[in-house]
Amino acid sequence: MAATVKPEEARDLEVLHRPNIASADVQLPAVRDYEQVDNEITATLSPTAAWYIGLFIAVGFLLIGIAAWMYQIYSGLGVAGYNPPVMWGVYIITFVFWVGIGHAGTLISAILYLFRAGFRTTIYRCAEAMTVFAVMTAGLFPILHLGRPWKFFWLIPYPNWRYLWPNFKSPLVWDVFAILTYLTVSTTFLYVGLIPDIAVLRDREKNPIRRRIYGVLSLGWRNSDREWRHFARAYLFLAAFSTPLVLSVHSVVSFDFAMGLPPGWHTTIFPPYFVAGAIFSGIGMVFTIIIPLRKWFRLQHYVTLNHLDAAAKLCLFTSLVVGCAYMVEWFIAWYSGLQVEQDYFWNRIFGQWWWASAILYTCNMVLPLSLFSQRLRRNTTWLFILSIFINIGMWFERFVIVIPSLSHEFEPWQWSGYRPTWVDFAILAGSFGWFSMWFLLFIKQFPVIAIAEVKEIVKPRLKRPHDHGINISGQHVDYERETPGKHE
Amino acid sequence: MRGVLGHFRELDLTVDAIEELKHADFGPITVYSPTPRHELEHVISAPPSAVRRFTLIGGLLGVTFGYWIAIWVSDYWPLVVGGKPIASWVPYTIIGFEVMVLVGALSTVAGMFINSRLPKITHTVGYDGRFSHGDFGVWVECDPEDASKCEDMLRANGASEVRRER
Repeated sequence: MAATVKPEEARDLEVLHRPNIASADVQLPAVRDYEQVDNEITATLSPTAAWYIGLFIAVGFLLIGIAAWMYQIYSGLGVAGYNPPVMWGVYIITFVFWVGIGHAGTLISAILYLFRAGFRTTIYRCAEAMTVFAVMTAGLFPILHLGRPWKFFWLIPYPNWRYLWPNFKSPLVWDVFAILTYLTVSTTFLYVGLIPDIAVLRDREKNPIRRRIYGVLSLGWRNSDREWRHFARAYLFLAAFSTPLVLSVHSVVSFDFAMGLPPGWHTTIFPPYFVAGAIFSGIGMVFTIIIPLRKWFRLQHYVTLNHLDAAAKLCLFTSLVVGCAYMVEWFIAWYSGLQVEQDYFWNRIFGQWWWASAILYTCNMVLPLSLFSQRLRRNTTWLFILSIFINIGMWFERFVIVIPSLSHEFEPWQWSGYRPTWVDFAILAGSFGWFSMWFLLFIKQFPVIAIAEVKEIVKPRLKRPHDHGINISGQHVDYERETPGKHE
Repeated sequence: MRGVLGHFRELDLTVDAIEELKHADFGPITVYSPTPRHELEHVISAPPSAVRRFTLIGGLLGVTFGYWIAIWVSDYWPLVVGGKPIASWVPYTIIGFEVMVLVGALSTVAGMFINSRLPKITHTVGYDGRFSHGDFGVWVECDPEDASKCEDMLRANGASEVRRER
């Protein structure tokens, strides 16, 4: 007679054999134990000369941006190169660019968490921090775009009797809700994930003042089973909320354009096209940040080539989606039979803006095809160079969306040009300075790799390995020598 | 709060000790571990977290508030366009969704804090800084007359350090 398994036993077996989320598909053969994890990851918190130089450069760029902004406030928005009918320029382009950058963080930390993609474990902290600072940077641009920025709170749609009645049917109001929700939730997600790691820092800290600060920030976290149980559940639900939020935020940003009538904007493919582009650009920025970091901090055995290889596949996939969207745009223009739409696309690709389109298609469609090669996916130098091209390409994607449409609308009198001024470029540089400054400050106060989650995939100390019914196979798969490619 | 703390360096010995302590039923057991482990979760077999209720209630409150604020504002300060409804549910779904995510996420975190009893501003009896590093701890809240038996049980199961706390 076949053995029967009672329902409660079946549930127990399932619990026993369910791998930890962080451990699926991830191997860290060079990480031996918990002590090594603590020592190596917390070692990244000591400031170095290179860090001070980086911070100095970032603050320098920020000061350039602030100076340009002050000049713009004094002289008026005209110095930023706006000329009717092109009244959206570098600021809106850069706003969408930074919101897009902010998408990879939540994709990596939330969506890949729900999909049990193990390679996220060692890169998600960087990506999450990048998200928060990128959205903070993006949030500056609607304010920079104001002639009287001290009245920025008029943008917030709250009921009032100043004849500024909130119009909840406007995409600009949806934007306020979407971006503020995204900033709040991604900051919360980052902080919740940091709590156990801050507790590790608190327990290691010798300096009483720093220890007290870490004690307050860790909220008295004690690593008890009760805390872990509720933490795991809350983290799962936050991931579940963040996943549709990621998709909604860039969809809402795309509505800023798609709800308008200019040719090239009024199309239904914008939401998925923008979301794929955002994820693509975000992964590009993750490479730009994580590749130097793993080298400078000597963390190659945490962020392994296998992880970069997996992230590069995701990058390739989103590049193909974005490329497909570009081609569908051309098809829609041709198939619509609308003269205005067709002329606009001709002007965009072969006319006035051919150079911007050429940069965009080369960086976003052609160069990422190199990632079909495993050798290039595992070549960190190429990945870094490619990530710079992707950043440039994605900025130009937004340029090509914003400028050609506004400069080539329905009537010939609406056709014009656009030339950014030094103020635009200075503020663009300032935004990179602002973002880099926050990121550099973050990496010296908090661990760049999630300590508690990495410990989940490291073999725990055992008296009797593989005994007592303890399932450890899911947590530390033996190192597979036949895995193709070079392991660092 | 009185009890005994067992300090373990190995995961499997910690699991053994918890299993035996649960059978002996000295009192409530708290386990400290540097990272969540399914082995510990299994042996502790605690009830499911109540955080999900906070998430559900927060999400429902959020979506209700999101729709309500948009409809109420449109009704109170109407922007009248001929042939169009004053309050339109299609665009307001975006507001409803965003506020649902916002309130749902914040109430999830609030649920985690409330259920985990965070923030803790006082010293926790039985906690040791090594538990966030790499070691495991088993704290058993028990009467003084059971403390010796409890200590023996922890030592027999391989605790590297055992001490009474109060």
